[in-house]
Amino acid sequence: MFKNIVFTFVTINSWFFANAQTASGIEEETNIYERIYNAPIRVSRNQQLTFTDLNNKKPLLLALIFTKCAGVCNPFLLQLKENLQFINSDNPFTILVLSFDPRDRLGDMNLLAQKLGLENNKKWIFAVTDSIALLNQSIGFYPRWDSVRSQYDHDALLVGINKEGYITKKLIGIRDKLDLDLLISSVNNIYSPTYRLPNKNILFSCFNYDPKTGKNRPGLGWLFIALPAVLAMSLLLSISFIVHNKLPAE
Amino acid sequence: MESIKIKKITAVWIITVLVLFIVSIVLGILMRLNQGEIIEQSPITFYSNMTTHGLTMIGIWFVAGMAAVNYLMQRYVKTSYTANVIAYVLTVIGVLIFWTTTFVGKFHAGWTFLYPLPFKVMWATWATPLFLVSLTVFGLGWLIWSISLMTQLLKKYSIAQVFAWQHFRKNPKVETPPFILITMITLIGIITCLFAAVILIALFFAEYFSNGNFLNDALLMKNLTYFFGHTIANEMLYLGLAVIYELFSEVSGRPKWRTTWYVALAWNLTLIFILTAFFHHLYMDFAQPEGFQIIGQLASYLASLPAAGVTVFSVFIAVYRTEIKWSLTNLLFFIGVAGWVIGGLGAVIDATITNNVLLHNTLWVPAHFHTYNAMGNVLFSLAFFYWFTNQFTKNIEDGKFTKLTLAILLIGGIGFLLAFYIGGADSIPRRYSNYPTDFTAAAPLATMGAIFATIYLTAILIFFFKIYKGCLKILFSPS
Amino acid sequence: MQQQMILLVFLILAGITTVVFTYVYASSKKAGQEKQGMSNPLRKRFWFLLILFVVLGIFASVTIPKSPYFLFADETPKKIVHVSAMQFAFILSEKAIDPKSPSGEPIELPANELVEFRVTSLDVNHGFAIYDQSNTLITQTQAMPGYVNRLRHKFKEPGKYNILCLEFCGMAHHGMRSSFIVK
Repeated sequence: MFKNIVFTFVTINSWFFANAQTASGIEEETNIYERIYNAPIRVSRNQQLTFTDLNNKKPLLLALIFTKCAGVCNPFLLQLKENLQFINSDNPFTILVLSFDPRDRLGDMNLLAQKLGLENNKKWIFAVTDSIALLNQSIGFYPRWDSVRSQYDHDALLVGINKEGYITKKLIGIRDKLDLDLLISSVNNIYSPTYRLPNKNILFSCFNYDPKTGKNRPGLGWLFIALPAVLAMSLLLSISFIVHNKLPAE
Repeated sequence: MESIKIKKITAVWIITVLVLFIVSIVLGILMRLNQGEIIEQSPITFYSNMTTHGLTMIGIWFVAGMAAVNYLMQRYVKTSYTANVIAYVLTVIGVLIFWTTTFVGKFHAGWTFLYPLPFKVMWATWATPLFLVSLTVFGLGWLIWSISLMTQLLKKYSIAQVFAWQHFRKNPKVETPPFILITMITLIGIITCLFAAVILIALFFAEYFSNGNFLNDALLMKNLTYFFGHTIANEMLYLGLAVIYELFSEVSGRPKWRTTWYVALAWNLTLIFILTAFFHHLYMDFAQPEGFQIIGQLASYLASLPAAGVTVFSVFIAVYRTEIKWSLTNLLFFIGVAGWVIGGLGAVIDATITNNVLLHNTLWVPAHFHTYNAMGNVLFSLAFFYWFTNQFTKNIEDGKFTKLTLAILLIGGIGFLLAFYIGGADSIPRRYSNYPTDFTAAAPLATMGAIFATIYLTAILIFFFKIYKGCLKILFSPS
Repeated sequence: MQQQMILLVFLILAGITTVVFTYVYASSKKAGQEKQGMSNPLRKRFWFLLILFVVLGIFASVTIPKSPYFLFADETPKKIVHVSAMQFAFILSEKAIDPKSPSGEPIELPANELVEFRVTSLDVNHGFAIYDQSNTLITQTQAMPGYVNRLRHKFKEPGKYNILCLEFCGMAHHGMRSSFIVK
């Protein structure tokens, strides 16, 4: 009988999990705790900075994009902006949107900032760099030029860099608020002794990490661990009820 | 008529348990001999024997406790003979199916069959589903039995009474005998962990039949595995304790133990601690939330308080400077309680997370659980078996021979356990069919373990021959 | 060595238990009619419980903060080692390991620096236990499919360290091992 319940459950839930995240785990694991290349970046016409200048102040979330992107870049940034609006983390960070396309000029980046309505937001910095190849290499990010489409073939990548200039975590693809929270904690060196691998489409997982509290919060699977006790107690109550009420005494 | 039937089925349980016990000890000795490089088994044989040894031992000492509790419960309420027989038949069928998977199919995922190991088939392909079937058969039989016993208790006592809550007030009108209270607490624990097993097996079957469309979460499965596995192994000890509460004072010629407010409180708390202590099996899974790890350590610690402060202390009070009719029965109970305490010390040490980092899955683990099983729970059950047989047959107790047998049992048991403890402190892994050469002490310790286990087996054989004759007489006597 | 200490403490406690049980048993054997039982048992029980509770409470509050989940939490590791356990081998690499074509490399780690092992499994549950040169278990974590467990450790002594599997994983479980060098 229980098997049937499980299967019903599987069916009911399958639609919900159908559009689950499918990022490959391996790229996210590369170059972790390696120092990011200290590239010079241009933030405005007369402001030349380096990565160290920025990350010394606050940890960085680095988004690598290009302005002429017809694909993932825009939805990626929009989603990032939206998710960050709902994160009121006490942990400091700056979002650095950097172009990996050498053709992009500072003006293109400013235009992008305006389009997103972020030109006056102090948390966001839009910049270009001359040393994109070395920077990409230190991250393990390799966009490919597709001459047919005149577009870069690339992942939506968000890189976490802590104040010491080390890459602490990477997120590939458009990810939800929880993953973003985890990224923000990681750049602030908040240690969590474990994390789940992405791309595991498993129904009844026990716990999902909640970076807000730094703890895992119970997932659907947790119910299954509480269920035996609940069942046993209900059985106790119902048997007691039945024998004392339904059956004639003695 | 009813009392004759329950007498006979109890005798059948006893003989079955003892026969299976002896076979399982032999398997254990063979494992230690193989580790000691005295004999040579293939790893597959070793690991399938290990699987057989583990699950059979858990199963038989659980049913031994249940049979004893069922027999003694007749003093208070009428129990269902049918449920008892169903449990027996299903247990025997379960054992036969299970042994087929291990001895014929060479199934060797260990008795904990940690997900997803049973699906990485290194044995006959039919053995995995059949193993799950055998677990289902056990679970069904044991659930029917425990629910039936619980129902009978609830017919006589209300929920408040069966948990002895009225004892929290002064001068309770109704007294709940300690035996009833402990049995009820234990039955709830058993039913809970059997439900965990049901969910676990259902999830296994769901994945098995889904052709890869449904995958389980390894962490959830591990939690469920130990919810079931740890709890059932723990509860069988508490069944033994229920028997002690009922029989110890009786065979000692002393007034019966009574439920007081602290006894009631201790056992009610025990239920909570037992059901949350299993988290200590997942200390080394950092994926488990830290809160649960801490609950695991605290619950494991707290579980020792009612056990030591109430049960052990009550035994002391009953014995200290008190003239007692000592017989093999209460002597076995007494030594068993000591074994249980010492095993508990090993357990509390291992349940400390900082120690667990160094002891988890080393020989320390089998060391402590063999202590409170082989030198605790087994003695509780043997005491009951002995008392039970003595009730109906004139089993002459020859003082000197009994003492000699007990001495053999103790020497064998202590030597066998020491080999485990020393091995654990020497970082030797458990569940290794052959030890890497860098563990120089491992093989000699294993041989030592095997030798002392053989001495222990000798004592068990002597007990067996004393008990089984009586049981056969009970079985074939007309009245 | 901590394990030897643990064994010693255990043996002492077990010895005390044996002595107490023997003493109680002997007192019963000697007891005549006039010396009846324990005086003030309820009070003694209360004190016994209270002492036990306090001892365990102290023990818990001292040990829990030292649990591995909280160790080196504020530091950034100098080196990261990816570990993928599989039946019946460990793959260690300083680069991330691709589960589709897992491959590793020999590992050398700095002494007295924080190292982080990111341990996962490609198939069943395994154990990841590190043994030092004297073959003593120094730390461990589990390798669970679908999860990455981060084990942080500082190696004090240079030398060769062995890795053994401490979770039963099938017929060649006892042969599953690897090693690395600390310089």
